[in-house]
Amino acid sequence: MDISGVIDYLIGFTIMAIIYAIFALGLNVHWGFTGLFNIGIAGFFALGAYTAALLTSPPPDPDQFEDFIFGGDLANQGLLDLGVDAWFFLGLAAAAVVCGLVALIVGTITLRLNDDYLSIATLGIAESVRFFFLNEKWAANGSKGLYRIPKFLGDVVAPENYDYLYVVVALVILLILFAAVQRAVRSPWGRVLRAIREDEVATAASGKNVFHFKLQSFVFGAMIMGIGGALFAHHVRFLSPLTFDPLLATFVIWAMLMVGGSGNNLGAVLGAFVVWGVWAGTQFLPGVFSDPSFRLLMIGVLIVAIMLLRPGGLLGEWRRIVASRPASAAARDSTDPG
Amino acid sequence: MTDSSPILQVCNVTKDFGGVRAVDRCTLDVMPGTITGLIGPNGAGKTTLFNLAAGDLSPTSGQILFDGMVISGLQPHQTFSRGLMRTFQIPRELRRMTVLENLMLVPARQSGERLWSTWLTPWKVARQERQIQARALDVLELVNLSHLANELAGNLSGGQKKLLELARTLMAKPKMVLLDEPGAGINRTLLRDLSANIVRASVERNVTFLIIEHDMRFVMTMCDPVIVMANGSVISEGTPSAIQRDPQVLEAYLGGRISGPA
Repeated sequence: MDISGVIDYLIGFTIMAIIYAIFALGLNVHWGFTGLFNIGIAGFFALGAYTAALLTSPPPDPDQFEDFIFGGDLANQGLLDLGVDAWFFLGLAAAAVVCGLVALIVGTITLRLNDDYLSIATLGIAESVRFFFLNEKWAANGSKGLYRIPKFLGDVVAPENYDYLYVVVALVILLILFAAVQRAVRSPWGRVLRAIREDEVATAASGKNVFHFKLQSFVFGAMIMGIGGALFAHHVRFLSPLTFDPLLATFVIWAMLMVGGSGNNLGAVLGAFVVWGVWAGTQFLPGVFSDPSFRLLMIGVLIVAIMLLRPGGLLGEWRRIVASRPASAAARDSTDPG
Repeated sequence: MTDSSPILQVCNVTKDFGGVRAVDRCTLDVMPGTITGLIGPNGAGKTTLFNLAAGDLSPTSGQILFDGMVISGLQPHQTFSRGLMRTFQIPRELRRMTVLENLMLVPARQSGERLWSTWLTPWKVARQERQIQARALDVLELVNLSHLANELAGNLSGGQKKLLELARTLMAKPKMVLLDEPGAGINRTLLRDLSANIVRASVERNVTFLIIEHDMRFVMTMCDPVIVMANGSVISEGTPSAIQRDPQVLEAYLGGRISGPA
């Protein structure tokens, strides 16, 4: 591999790491800040990806024996003939809205109950979404998948250089989402979420409507995941239900958050790069070591190592420090520690 | 005692846990402005009564009225917004949050609690945060925890956690506070501070207190009237001295004379 080949590879790697960083951010809202045990990230991943893909793909081609009903291609329909590039953004927004609505319904049903019910429900949703797209051929071409998902700004650069453009697009979207999440979790809103994570009863006794805040957190995190899914669809430009197996669409994202540091947004992003680095890097190992199951084992080893050496992840949770008042120095000297 | 109507009325309330009747046709009134004591042997149903009043549990039968309105069956955040706050016997501090954050959580209707406000009007949120922070630092000074403002609440000692529970109630403007064993595990010096804070809140801000406490010296000096519960219902009520002479109360405490620290 020559040097430009290496750079091309690294760019492709970075795009995937950025997309995973977006999922890790969404999971951080759920788990890191609110303590919502979402083990069905794959469901929102798939919904976001399929939503964006169906809205922007060309209509089904009978010559290819495609017979799914909704060909989308809204980009070239008369009513909203804005072109593919505008529809890229509308697809992103639609992915967020669809995931948000599903989260709203699932959350309304399960978030009043014990924590366990949310995990069961999210796991169930993820598998249902996958099997829906697998078995209901009319919806999105079943196991043959969607493979004509258009590029965003595809006319602007030559195909062989396209990833250089898309990495910038993905990075900009990551930065926007990062800023939005960061602002939200460091505000009083985020303070209520962290309080819920620590103790729901105490948070309710402090006058907060725990259910409402949990629902907001669940919907917000799911919308971020939807955007991640949409970005993924326009990057790989081929979706089949097999893409969204629990291993690479849920487990790996949990690994990223645990390694990077739950409750720390920078940690979530760092964890995405580290874990995706281990996953992608191990494929170059010789012989049996490049076997997918061995590579997965390496992620497991990484999690165990982090849990033993740095239980809070590479970057621990951020803590707000307030300058103490000069007057309180006197109080300190006179206070008898309890 | 004032001659106005009671601020808290417990009317014939019963609470069953499976086969166990924790509160049994309990009826009691708390008059506004008082510091009322609630004592009784372990298992008398005192904490369950707090859980029922604050909305952590719903009664099996009976009603609880606060300020003339039925509150039994409401959620905890709803009783809070009507001006009824409670603390916990075993402190429920928010462990991985700082002491200051534990307090800054409490004030109601913070504009920054709306997700869109954190993005669209961050300056408003920041201004309100400065006010809330100033108030939280004031409250910390009041309970002598200023030096621990940035400490994680989970690292506090047992007594300091008790003070933090009290500090939480000082962050809001409740009409009434239910204190569940505020003095347990607190040394004498801190207990004096605690009593002073309760009296100050009672006198200056007209907060009504209902206090569960096993430290009899604390109850007998702080509280008037004192209500005694045993086996889920009220067996006696009156001034501290009257309670100490009540034979029923003495019997409930296994025939012992009420004196000194329990």
